Amino acid sequence: MRALALALLAFPLLAQHGRYLSDSNNPAIGDPKAIAAGTKLFMGSCAGCHGPDGGGGARGPNLVRRSLWHPLSDDAIFQVIRKGVPGTDMPPTKLEDDQTWNLVAFIHSLTGPASTNPVPGNAAAGKEVFWGAKAGCANCHSILGKGGSLAPDLSNVGGSRPLAVIRESILEPAKDLSYLGNEAAVVELKNGKTITGVAKNRSNYSLQIVDAKGRLHLLQMAEVKKLTISETTSMPTDFAKRLTRDELRDLLAYLAAQDIRLETAKGSK
Amino acid sequence: MKRALLSLLLAATAFAQVRNEDIVKGPGADWLTYAGTYSGWRYSPLNQITAANAKNVVPKWVYHVPGARGLRSSPIVYQGVLYITNTNSVYAIDARSGRMVWQYADPRAKEGGVNRGAAIWADKIYFTTSDNYLVALDRFTGSLIFNRKFADVEKGTTSTSAPVIAKGKVIVGSAGGDGGMRGFIMALSADNGDELWKTYTVPAKGEKGSETWGDLIEWGGGAAWLSGTYDAELNTLYWTTGNPWPDYNGSVRQGDNLYTCALLALDLDTGKMKWHFQFTPHDTHDWDAQSWPVLIDTQIMGKPRKVVLHANRNGFFYALDRVTGEFLRATQLIDKLTWAKGIDDKGRPIMLPNSEPTPTGNWVCPSVKGATNWMGQSYNPGTGLLYVLTLEQCGMYFRSSQNPEPMKHFSGGGATEEGGQVVLRALDPKTGKRVWEYPMTGAGRMWTGTVSTAGGVIFSGDDDGHFVALDAKNGKNLWHFNVGEGLTASPVVYSVDGKQYVAIASASAVFSFGLFEPAVPFEPPVIQMKK
Ligand code: HEC
Ligand code: HEC
Repeated sequence: MRALALALLAFPLLAQHGRYLSDSNNPAIGDPKAIAAGTKLFMGSCAGCHGPDGGGGARGPNLVRRSLWHPLSDDAIFQVIRKGVPGTDMPPTKLEDDQTWNLVAFIHSLTGPASTNPVPGNAAAGKEVFWGAKAGCANCHSILGKGGSLAPDLSNVGGSRPLAVIRESILEPAKDLSYLGNEAAVVELKNGKTITGVAKNRSNYSLQIVDAKGRLHLLQMAEVKKLTISETTSMPTDFAKRLTRDELRDLLAYLAAQDIRLETAKGSK
Repeated sequence: MKRALLSLLLAATAFAQVRNEDIVKGPGADWLTYAGTYSGWRYSPLNQITAANAKNVVPKWVYHVPGARGLRSSPIVYQGVLYITNTNSVYAIDARSGRMVWQYADPRAKEGGVNRGAAIWADKIYFTTSDNYLVALDRFTGSLIFNRKFADVEKGTTSTSAPVIAKGKVIVGSAGGDGGMRGFIMALSADNGDELWKTYTVPAKGEKGSETWGDLIEWGGGAAWLSGTYDAELNTLYWTTGNPWPDYNGSVRQGDNLYTCALLALDLDTGKMKWHFQFTPHDTHDWDAQSWPVLIDTQIMGKPRKVVLHANRNGFFYALDRVTGEFLRATQLIDKLTWAKGIDDKGRPIMLPNSEPTPTGNWVCPSVKGATNWMGQSYNPGTGLLYVLTLEQCGMYFRSSQNPEPMKHFSGGGATEEGGQVVLRALDPKTGKRVWEYPMTGAGRMWTGTVSTAGGVIFSGDDDGHFVALDAKNGKNLWHFNVGEGLTASPVVYSVDGKQYVAIASASAVFSFGLFEPAVPFEPPVIQMKK
């Protein structure tokens, strides 16, 4: 999923897919009790095909890192559970409305924006981890105008990504196949200068690169002598070891809270 | 960590930042605000493309804006990057190659109206979401700096205009108003989005001006669909206001309905109204004043004056003294005009009978779209002419006697538009008279703004989707290019590496044009992929 999201940056024609829409005001969404009830139902009737964590099985697709193109919204999930997907193995159900919403709440907890779900951990402690030297996240990432410019802005990461995807981004950043839009690059120009940074976009004719100071350079390939592109992520791959379980949990709680639509006061959260 | 932050900050301030004086100075290589300059000229001093060589203009690149279907956004350009908005989104594009650098989108924004453009200040890009958030982004990376809500959609207010930024104040306004709302203009801090002042365009009950309304005053309308202009010396903003609500039923709001269909002169620091001028008192035809107040200094009636020009939807072309608001003159903008005999020497229309909407309808010119509208006009100091797109069209106006209810998309009646022709007109601000005109072929649907240059060229759009270059002196067509879809935005002019470009958003894409140059083959660089 994340590889896709990054590829979208480079191929914006596809960027309209709202992959994690949450469009429902049903009180079940984000309610821990409803989610617990939904989990039970899911384990009983759905996990056999979709896997116990919604991660996909032999007979049903992954509901978290989805490969289907249409956007998944709460209301759409409700309809899918009720009516099934005709012509496929996805069966219709005869559940009551509130039971169906409990299931939606559970699926939403896997696939919906982290900020709309209950997340364990201490966000205030996670803030220290994010901005601290041990993790060093802010050397590369920014939140609300502070931090580095060599990696995606995380001001809205909780408002746009499910918790599972954020966790995976931190623990297994090298899992993606393409880093287009975030490629670490070194450019040697014909005039002898060298620029190191992130290639936001590139073609055979032009290159758009942001350096470590956050400045944008717009280059023509005719000016470039040599371009070295990293095939893997520049994000450290050892956070699973570097951070304690508590640190990781709290960091996730902090990131889950980064949602620009919940932001009312300015600046620091 | 603290030290790392500090050095970052230093680096940022050492780099060029957009300031008041840069915008006051007007365009050159950059195009820093919706109309290019605070005074609303849409004029570029670039002169590489001339009336003589405009025949050699070719498209340089096209950027398809994801999902766009009816762009009305006018780009801004700074240091080789072009910023274009669509509904709830911004795209930064390499202005030389058309390649995207970053994008920002807020898919969770409520509402989905059009957006007219972004603004730039210091090193941030600003725009508003349709549900009234002011968004500030890092101009290099698109990273979010802040996202602040300034008004409630629940009160009927949305946001469409490109903000204007002066002296660190981001000026935004309220769109909406055809379903009942109370219009306003606001200043927000460019640093953090804090509210600095808010001026309503319709008075509260009991306030001065409220005697020009009835009971519906709280939902009176007076939207600010567009941004306005600014005189730095007078420290004054010139902002136009929308129509009163309900649009077509005036019987429930007897009186002039201040300050709708008007031009407001506001103090930039406080938002205090210095003066107002109402073009269409008690409007019942949706002839809001949403077209550009253009600021020029010129001789009028034998006297040098600071003037504000305004081509109005009601069919008249006005000149006011922009220091005092004094009415100077109004001339007819279009030929088909049936509702007023003229404008009296106080600036009030001299009404003709049978022009009001009725249950069975009255045939009135201009049509509900107005004699002109929101697309940008251009004032060219070289020719001394103002170039305005106009529409010759009439229609039926109906009134509904239904009880008006706010927030229900109810506008008190309706209107039709029949036939019609778009004509680009060159007006002499000194006399208010037409100097030449350029009639177009089409269905009377397109609304392309104009830009003009020191090269003596006007760029605009035909009513059938052709982007055109005209001779600024006489309106002669010099060049055309079929973009293959509607043109409902306004063009801008910029340069990169000393090469002049002219760019415009069509319905779904941004096109950038320049003079033909043969391709130069080059030795491709060594590209090494590293594990
Ligand atoms: C027999 C296997 C099976 C069972 C049992 C099953 N599903 Fe499915 N489900 C599928 C298949 C196969 C699809 C893919 C349909 C398609 O191709 O569009 C699917 C699709 C879905 C989708 C849409 C996914 C998307 O990305 O659009 C949701 C949501 C879903 N299932 C939820 C559930 C829930 C909740 C249950 C339990 C009540 C359940 N499923 C039970 C096989 C199953
Ligand atoms: C050396 C630079 C660097 C550091 C340090 C770093 N990251 Fe990243 N991060 C990146 C880059 C580059 C990406 C873009 C995708 C990729 O390459 O995997 C990324 C991607 C991410 C994403 C996914 C963003 C998205 O849009 O989906 C998250 C979440 C993230 N990082 C969190 C963190 C956290 C939390 C830390 C600290 C524990 C951290 N990163 C430290 C460079 C860094």
